[in-house]
Formats: sequence, C-alpha cells, structure tokens
Amino acid sequence: MTVVDAVPDLRPSAMGHVAGDVLLMAESAAVFGLSEEDARHMRDALQAGDAAARQELGRLGLDAPVPVPPPSVRVHPVRALALTVSQTCNLACGYCYAAGGSFGGAETRMGWDVARRAIDRLIAGTIPGGGVKIAFMGGEPMVARDLIRRSVAYANERGAARAVQVGYSLTTNGTLITAEDADFFARHRFAVTVSLDGGREVNDRLRPDKAGKGSFDRVARRMAPLLERHDRIQLGARVTVTPVNLDIRRVVEDIGALGFHTVGVAPMIASPTGQGALAGPQFAQLLDAMTDCGDAWFEAVATGGHHPFANLATVLGELHRGQPRNHGCGAARDYLAVDAEGDYSACHRFVKDPLGAMGTRDSGPDDARRAAFLDDRTVERQTPCQSCWARRLCGGGCHQEVLHAGRPACDFVRGWLDYGLRRYSRMMALRPDWFDDMA
Amino acid sequence: MKDHTGAAPKPLNKAAKAEDPVYAEPILGNPVSTLMESGVGNCFPGLEFDLRQLDVRFFPGLVFEFPGVTPAGPDGRQGARLVYADPAGDPIIADHFTADGPEWITALKRQFAGPEGSALGDGTWYLHFVEQGGKRIMLYDYALYQNTAALTPYEGETVWWIIRLIEAEKPLTIGLTQRAADGSPTGVPVVLTGRRRQFLTGEGMIDPVYHPGELTSSMCSPWTHDFRDCACHYWASNHPDVVLGEVDDPQQMLANRTDKNDSAQAVTFIDWMRRRHEPLKDVSALTTLPRARPDRYDPYEINLHWEQLDFVLQGQEVEATPVVPLMQKPTKYKTLEEMVAELSEQLAGMELTLALEYLYAYFSLREPEDVTAEQEKAWPGLREDLRAARQLILSVALSEMTHLRWVNQVLWLVHKAYPDRLGAYKPCLDAAKTLTIPKDKVSGRSCTDAYDFIEPGLEDAIKAAEAHRNNSDEVVRARSLRRARQCVLAEFVEVERPDGILDTEYVNLVGLLRDSKEPYPEGLFQLAVRIDSDGMQHYQKFRDVKRFLEPYAKQEALYLRPISVGDPDDARVKPAVDKIRLALAALGEAYQIEAELGDMPTANARIMEAREAMHDLNTIALELARQDIGVPFFAAFP
Repeated sequence: MTVVDAVPDLRPSAMGHVAGDVLLMAESAAVFGLSEEDARHMRDALQAGDAAARQELGRLGLDAPVPVPPPSVRVHPVRALALTVSQTCNLACGYCYAAGGSFGGAETRMGWDVARRAIDRLIAGTIPGGGVKIAFMGGEPMVARDLIRRSVAYANERGAARAVQVGYSLTTNGTLITAEDADFFARHRFAVTVSLDGGREVNDRLRPDKAGKGSFDRVARRMAPLLERHDRIQLGARVTVTPVNLDIRRVVEDIGALGFHTVGVAPMIASPTGQGALAGPQFAQLLDAMTDCGDAWFEAVATGGHHPFANLATVLGELHRGQPRNHGCGAARDYLAVDAEGDYSACHRFVKDPLGAMGTRDSGPDDARRAAFLDDRTVERQTPCQSCWARRLCGGGCHQEVLHAGRPACDFVRGWLDYGLRRYSRMMALRPDWFDDMA
Repeated sequence: MKDHTGAAPKPLNKAAKAEDPVYAEPILGNPVSTLMESGVGNCFPGLEFDLRQLDVRFFPGLVFEFPGVTPAGPDGRQGARLVYADPAGDPIIADHFTADGPEWITALKRQFAGPEGSALGDGTWYLHFVEQGGKRIMLYDYALYQNTAALTPYEGETVWWIIRLIEAEKPLTIGLTQRAADGSPTGVPVVLTGRRRQFLTGEGMIDPVYHPGELTSSMCSPWTHDFRDCACHYWASNHPDVVLGEVDDPQQMLANRTDKNDSAQAVTFIDWMRRRHEPLKDVSALTTLPRARPDRYDPYEINLHWEQLDFVLQGQEVEATPVVPLMQKPTKYKTLEEMVAELSEQLAGMELTLALEYLYAYFSLREPEDVTAEQEKAWPGLREDLRAARQLILSVALSEMTHLRWVNQVLWLVHKAYPDRLGAYKPCLDAAKTLTIPKDKVSGRSCTDAYDFIEPGLEDAIKAAEAHRNNSDEVVRARSLRRARQCVLAEFVEVERPDGILDTEYVNLVGLLRDSKEPYPEGLFQLAVRIDSDGMQHYQKFRDVKRFLEPYAKQEALYLRPISVGDPDDARVKPAVDKIRLALAALGEAYQIEAELGDMPTANARIMEAREAMHDLNTIALELARQDIGVPFFAAFP
C-alpha cells in the first residue's frame, strides 16, 4: 500500500485545491486528475494567489471559477420530518445536544394530538404519488414506544389515502429495544441508527445512565434482535467523538465487532453543557485518528473487503457525485423537526432553540422564516467561506454548530477533505467499480 | 512560458465529466408536443404527407406528376405530365353505386368511354390549360421572338400553384396536348369537362382513391425516424421521455387478482427508448446521456426497432403485443338460432342496463366546479380528477349505448338474411333485470351500501337467471343504481375486463361469424369485431377512473354527491323518466325502419328525436343531481 504523499497544504483558496495529483475546482466541485508536474505547478500557482491560479487553470484548459451570487432560496415542501416524540431520556450523556433529552426544559413527551397534527400537515403538503420520511427522535424515542406505533399506523393510513409513501427512521440509544420492537421496525422498513460511543470501556464512560451505570452491555444485548433482521432494517451506529474516545479506529472496529455493518462518527463541536466538546489542538488529533481509521477502511475496501467506517465511504461518494452545495444539509429546506409541544424547528438539533424556530403548532411551518433562514445561512453569505476551496463540499457546516460555536473545526474539515480527495484518486485507480452504484 | 503539460487534466468525478442530462427535465409520458394539435405537422404542414400528392389526382380518372426544370435547363417535359388515365380505378367513376350519381360524372364517364378517352391511351400527354368560371389559364410562358410566338411550358411547381386555385364545386374544363421536343404543344388537344376532386369525403376522410403510402411516397419517413442526428430535433421532441412500465395493473399480476399495492413499482420511471432486452426492461431511467446511451436505442435505430417502442397512454406503456391468457375457443354458439337468442335475450339488455348503471354513477360524481377553494388547496388535483372521471364514465356509458345499437344491427342483419329461420326482427330495447358478474369482485359483498336501491320484484328474475347459469365463478345480481364508490367502480372494471362476461359474449359472436362456412351478410363480422375491440377501452377507462378516485376513497364526500334514487312519481323526477321512455320509443321505431331498409329519412328523424330526448335527460338529470336526487332510470321500463 502506497502512502499518500506529502504534507497537505490546507491554506484557503477561492479557486481550488490540489490534493496529491487531483485538482478540486472550488466552485463546481469538479475533480480532475493531473500529471505530477501539472499538479506541482498548479499547487504553486494556487499558493501564489488567485491571478496566478487563474492563469494556470487557463493553461490547463480549465475555466477559472466565477463567483456566483447567492441563489434565490426556494423553500421546498417538507419531505422529512423529525418527531421529537420524547423530550426525555433514560441516559445522561454529558455532551448531549438535547441536554439529557429535554433540550434544557422540563422533560416532556409528545402527545398524540401533536403527532397527529404534524403527520396530517406533512402528508397534506405532499403531492399524491410523492414520498415523505418521518424520523423519530428524542430524547430517547423508545420511551414513547406507543406513540411511535400509533404514529406509524396513522401515517400509513393517511399516506395510503393520499397515495403518499411514508418511510421511517429512528435514532436511539438502543437500551430499550425489544424483539417486538425489532419486528415492528422490520415490518415498516425502518432505518435505525444506534448511538454508541465505543467499546464497553469507552462507551460506559461517555454514556452512563442516570444512576451512573454503564450502558454498553445492555445495548449489546439489545442489538441482537435488530441485527437478526438486518435484511429489513437499515441498521447503523453513530459515534459522537469527544476527547475521551479519540481512538476512532478502535472505537469503530469495536462497534463493528458487535455486528454493525456501518459505523459513522461525528465530532462533538457544540455541547450545551460545554462538556465533552473538542477544542483547539484536539482537532489535529481528531484528523490523525480519522485518517488512521480511513487508512484501515481503504486497505480493506481497496482489496475487496469490508470495513464499517462510514465517513470515508460517504466522502468518496460525495466527491464522486460532485454536487456543489449551498447549505451543509437539508435542514429548514426540506427537513424540519417538531418538538413535544408541536412547534417546528429547522432540525432536531434546533428543538427549543429560538435561532432555529420555524413555526408553531397552530400555524404550521413558517415558510417565510424558512426562506429567511436559508438565505441567511447560504454558504455564499458566510465569511470566511467565500475564500475557502472546500465551500461547495461542506456547504458552510452544520447550522446549529456554527450558530452556537462558530467554525472552530475548519482546518479539520479541510484536512479531512484533502485526505478524501487523495483517497478518491487512489480509489478511482484501484477500484473504479466501487463507484458504479452511485446514483 | 515553459510548457510542462504532461497530459490534459483527466476528469474524475461527475461534476468534472459534466455529463449531459438525457432530458433537462424528464416528463412522464407524452410531452405536450406529442399531442396531435401540437405536432410538427401542425406547425409545418406537409411534413406528414406531401400536399402535392393530393393534386396528382385533381381530375377524376387521371393521374399527373409535376416535373420541374432540371438543372440542365428546360427540356420540354416540365409542367403537369399525365402519368396514366385510369377512370376504371377511380371510385368516383367506377363505383357502380354512383351510377346514378351527379350528372357531371355521367358526362365524364361518357367522355372517357369516347374518343377523348381512347386518345389519352396512347403517347405522352401534358396538361395544356385549365378553365373555370369562364377563365382559361394556358400553362405556358408566352414570348414573342422575331415575330414568332414561343410557348415555354410552366415548370411543375407553377402548374401546381395554378391547380391549387381550382375550386371543387364549379365545373372545370381541362385540355391536354402532346408536345414537341421543345415543349410546344402539338396535335389536337383533348378536352375533358368535369369537376376537381374533393380530397376529403363527406366524413372528412381522405378520398379512398389514394393508395396507402401514396401521399407520403415522395417523403422520408418522419414518423419512424428520429431526426436528432440530423440536428433537426423535431421528432425527438415528440416522443415520451420516461414512462411507467406495464406493471400498473396489479390485479392482473397476481393469480388471485388481488391488488398487490406495490406503490414503489408505480413510481419507477423507465426510459421509453430503452433496448428491449429483458432484465433491463424495468430498470429506472438513467439521468445522464453517457449512462443512458448504452441501454437505449440510438436514434438511427428507431427505424429498425420501432415496433418495440410502445404506445404510451397516460404515462404508461401499452404494449402492442400484450401477453394475454390464451383465448378460450369460442364454441359457445353452435347455431345461428342460439346466437340470436343470446344476443336478443341477454346481450342487448345487458348493454342497456350497464349504460344506465354507468350513467347513474356518472351523475353521482360531484362537478369540478363544486370543489371549494379550500378543498382544492388540500387536495390539489381533485378538480381535474373529477373532470377526468366524469368524462371517462360518460364516454363508456355512451359507448354502451352505441353497442346497444350495434347489437340490434347485428340482429336485424341476420334476421334479414335468414327470414325463414329467424322470422322478423324486433328491436331489443329492454334493460336486463339481472346481470351476471364475476364472483371474486362482487361489490355487494364488501360495500355496505352497494345496493343503494333495489327494485321490488326482481327476486324471481334473479332466481331464473341463477338457474340458467352454468359457470360457478359468476354470480347473478339484480340491476342496481349505485353511486361511483370504489367497490362499485371495481365491479365495473371486472364486468368490462377482457375475457370477462361481456367480452366473452362478443368473442363468441366473432368466433361464430369467423369460423362458420355460412355466407353471413357483408359487414356483420366487422361489426362484431368492432364491438368486441371497442369494449377493451371500457376496461381501461374504468380502471383509470378507479385509480383517479382512489385517494379520496376515505372521504367520499369529496367526490360523491349524497344522491339517492328518486321517486318516479315525484313531479321533479317524472320528466326525466318520460324522456327515457321517449328516447327508447323513438329508437325502436328507427331500428324497425332501418331493419326493413324502409324510409330512411324518417328513421333518421326518429334517431334525432331520441338524441334530443337524451340531451334533455342529461340537463334534467344534472339538475336533479344538484338536488341530491338520482334518476330512477329503470322506472322507464315496464
């Protein structure tokens, strides 16, 4: 296995970026393979400034990026809705964005009336023949098992009456799942994401229950019925990376050993308690850990094997699609969350957060607010994003993190994308077939 | 600058390859440009056929061509050259039924039979002049040169322009001559008097004198070739982009004909141009040209594979060669008598009963204008769905009425052919009291108010019909006026299903006529085939109606009126019943006259009367429906 070359130059450039022997065009997200010599010249030109870069691009026969004005924001019909069915949780993770599930307020559970109205609105707003997704979130959503079941039955019925297909997903800590639940998920083809932070030792430190007891064994036991039905349940694990579980490769492989086919990790950047968030030099450690785990993934996959690490697979897929973004995600655009009281927010992380309030229970989603939010958050309006080569890949980052913690991790993001670009070039050379299924 | 380029940058990801989308915005089914009225022929008339080809037969009995001037200059052959004279092959002249037709034809026939006709049989003739309304146009350029008049024939296109100006309704005289080598006329002109051909018949059809292919013979084949590769996009813009595959009839997919309700299947768009080799058949359409191209026909291949490209109706492919279960051998009728009995005692009545049940269902639907703004907001498309559903149901009801006439026509034709065996024809215009329905989908079983209304006294009729029935897959039910609920529509679909009850009857009829050695009256077989194939559309239409209205099934008030069957003695209702009686009486009279080849004008007048009565009925029934009253259609029968 060849080690991918040299020290990456991660300085921002509005024009583009050379990683190894590939050139990323900043505006179009197009990726070109260059000869070694062209790559060196291009890198030099990018360092010398926009004018030199422009000239070098011209010489290669490529159009220099033209800055485009922010697009006029279109609010889409809501296609995915998070139902915060339970603003309470049986665990007490220190870093939780929902602050123990309650989003900083009193613990509440969603009432049937709230769920029903939200579902009615979602389906009524979808044209017959279309499809929607409902995501059950918390807190720990399984605390509200009955509400979930009732909601699914109701949404299926309402969907059928309007010829709207409804898909479901659930994000859970896994501690409350029973075999019957697994049957139910399988029947309705749920995508289930289980939050886990590592093997027993790490997980139990990060994810204690309210009495301070570790949750790993419970979760591992509870996973069996889900794993048995993996053909009908789309099952994944999600790791929140904090200073305590920075050994990502081990964390991912430990969880993979439980039977999870994919394990994704997300660094903790904005924590309501301030507890557990990564800071300063830890991002460099994080990048090292990510690339270390990425190497493991690459080694396995490039030789036809499997590795559960989802992040690199996602990056390669996104790079291959090359769809330039205006926003980091679909929040507020076609995705909203509903809290226990029925009010709408930009996504599940903005529940009870005035910065992301998107309508009330009585008046429904507020399209004017959604449009204003999206217009305000579009990457073209973000400083310093305009001068960053990664802007069309990252889309400006997570709205919630940016609004609460700024952008402390841009170097990490660029480093990770630089690594992804190098790996992309290698993967295209070794396993072009791996990209065949990318829509 | 130092040149250090090793190789051109190699595009890696999709954004770098910037693949062309197959379609900027794929449209399901036929884009609007595939409609007849927006077709290329409407913008550029002549692209479907060559207008000049109409005028090669402008004069009955003669066929011309219009040679132009060759690049080498005038050679004396330009103008309108007579290709051949063929009065016997021209229906206007040859058709013996028009022997006592207009006088000008008789006169023209006389000319063709006389010296003029025989002169044209020899040598090469050219059109010399045309004359109409006292104006004669000589088809030459006239030049004086050194005191000599030189006549140079007009070239073909100019002559054609002149011929285009001839009016069809006025007498027309033409002269033909032979020519010298320089094109100047020689010999004695042959003069013929007649009229210009009417290119369309009274029904608006192109005159049958034109042979298939004749009007397009001078053209490339625009309907089968895609001109995209000629950088001329007109045909390409006319074909469907993506379609739904032929899977939307789940009821046919499963052996037990239950609905498998696979909504994912229904929203998979497939490429209409895809190569038709299985397993690719149903994969969803790829979005970019490079990816789609390997699996779709290249434009030039359309000429080779056009038979595989399906017709598309409402976004869905309809295979030209559907796989249908083997047709049962039509052995039901062994004798003519048996067939006539079945037709007159069963089929005619069934058609009428169904027509009326369908009408009732039609009037039970809300009018699109009744949909409130609020409902339209919550149910975008409701209005259009209602409009479409009403139109389709009405069209089936009307078509059943047409069938009723055809069945009667079949009956009077055979009665006339075999008076000794069958006796005299009697119009069959009584509605059947019972209907035989496939068992597994009988709506009465699952629909609580399926029988909104049962006429008293039909129990005996049901018993009698049950006794005659020899197929255990069917049940007999009383005729019944019901609103267009889902279960009722489901039953309509079943009734009209190919190889269902109705279809089987006609298949038997077709089979008898086709297989028999008996010389049945001309046209009878065609008539039977026509009824049978026409019924296919009923099935499709009801299936569509059911599908359109399915989303509203849980809230029937959205699409149904709360009508119930009115009392025939009610002063508001009575006029409607009277109109039905009036229509039936007039029809009966008309059929009787037609059957006897009697006084046709009277028969026509009766038919018009019946039509008028039906129009009035429509107005009254609509008004009653608005008051939530349904017309008791069957009260019109004794």
